[in-house]
Amino acid sequence: MFFYSLKNLFSPPATLEKGTPPPKNYRGTILYFEETCIYCKKCEMVCPPGAIIFTYPEDGSKKLKFHYNPYLCIYCGECVRACPKPGTLVQAETPSPPATADQKPNDQWFEIEKLAVESKKKWQEARKRMREQKNKNQQ
Amino acid sequence: MGKKFVVPFGSQHVALPEPIRFVFTTENEIIRNVAVDFGYVHRGIEKACMSKFKYTQVPYVVARVCGLCSISHASGYCLAIETLMDIEVPKRAVYLRIIAHELDRIHSHLFAVSHLCEVAGYENLFMRVMRDRELVMECLEIFTGNRVQYDFVTIGGVNRDLTKEVYEELKPRLEELEKRLLQLKEIFEKDYTLQMRWKGAGVITKEMAQKYNAVGPIARASGLATDCRVEFGYFPYEELGYRMVLYHEGDIWARNMVRVDESLVSIEIAKNAMDNLPEGEINVRVRGNPNGEALVRWEAPRGELLYYVKGNGKPVLERLRIKTPTFSVIPVMKELYYNQPYALVPDITISFDPCLSCTAR
Ligand code: SF4
Ligand code: SF4
Repeated sequence: MFFYSLKNLFSPPATLEKGTPPPKNYRGTILYFEETCIYCKKCEMVCPPGAIIFTYPEDGSKKLKFHYNPYLCIYCGECVRACPKPGTLVQAETPSPPATADQKPNDQWFEIEKLAVESKKKWQEARKRMREQKNKNQQ
Repeated sequence: MGKKFVVPFGSQHVALPEPIRFVFTTENEIIRNVAVDFGYVHRGIEKACMSKFKYTQVPYVVARVCGLCSISHASGYCLAIETLMDIEVPKRAVYLRIIAHELDRIHSHLFAVSHLCEVAGYENLFMRVMRDRELVMECLEIFTGNRVQYDFVTIGGVNRDLTKEVYEELKPRLEELEKRLLQLKEIFEKDYTLQMRWKGAGVITKEMAQKYNAVGPIARASGLATDCRVEFGYFPYEELGYRMVLYHEGDIWARNMVRVDESLVSIEIAKNAMDNLPEGEINVRVRGNPNGEALVRWEAPRGELLYYVKGNGKPVLERLRIKTPTFSVIPVMKELYYNQPYALVPDITISFDPCLSCTAR
């Protein structure tokens, strides 16, 4: 024990150096590729902490906007497994960048959460108007 | 009769890793009365699981009950839901769960061992155990993709597979760890200071363990043969080389040795499971909502963990109840303090490896 300890005094630290990249297979942030997304919102529904939110466009079109909060995400990968279009959501192997005070990660996210509720209402109204218009045109 | 003094210990104390408060009434050096108070870290997890999260999301929530045994909580919950919904988990997933679970047990036990060294005043050994624990932490990080929160178990299986590369990374690390653990064991068996301090101190007799319903390593250190891993046979532990570690002394030293020996057994189980991994799926799809109730007893590193779930056909559970190992050992812990010298309090407390964030949830 004594010699072991003495040897330890002169050996490099057992912990990793600061700035060492994470190992392979690390569970990192989620990347989103819009081209293949069908806006089924399955990922939003399965996400345990609610780190994925879709906001709706005002004109009533089907092109929703994807929002992702890497600081709320627990990197579980549920969204990736739930997505019916493989390759739309990908789990990267890099951790999220450190959150700094001036980014205001929380405040921005609260705005988006509010926006999601409001924009959904507006979107539904717009859809309704569109449907009425369509019905009128047919008549 | 000497003069009585009241000595508070906790909720914040250098020798305590967790917020629990004891109020000791001592007479000279000897403890005559003790009051326990926990619940400083109540986070309302049970309520959250019953109101805010769907049952498929709950494994990730209950995993946050405890940082050290997160995988036990997740697997306990998943087992309960699987029993309730009659889901058959693929064999490969079962084996992968065992590997993760045993690795988790090793790192939790080593943490307890190192902490016990620290409160005994043996900082050097504390550092050494922590250094060796780093190996198993690395294993877990490679295996599950994260160092602390594994999010590995889901209802119906596991989230990640054990690939060839991962296997090759894990194997040498486990072998190295086994070697180092054997050296550590020798130190614990031979070291004069530790023997003086731990042997014969804080003895729980077998009758006492039975009467106060001790669980896990604490019960096994007193010669009470109880282990939920084999009692219920949820997982095929016996075919993977499981053997029960039993000590009969019941003192702090025995509790420490149980942890060291169990870590060695766990390494063996994990290695066996890795070598004999069956082929097949790692996950089955889950449909429908839980309806009915189920109760599962599951062996966490600290002892028996109890999960009760009740569903009513809706996606959100009606009731989720968690009973944690530390909660079960508090009565025997309290009993043990009577008529002990105050100087032994840190060692006795830490030898129970208390996890209060589990207990208070
Ligand atoms: S990885 Fe998990 S927490 Fe993160 S966005 Fe996907 S589902 Fe949500
Ligand atoms: S689950 Fe996939 S396809 Fe559906 S909305 Fe999310 S990213 Fe798009």
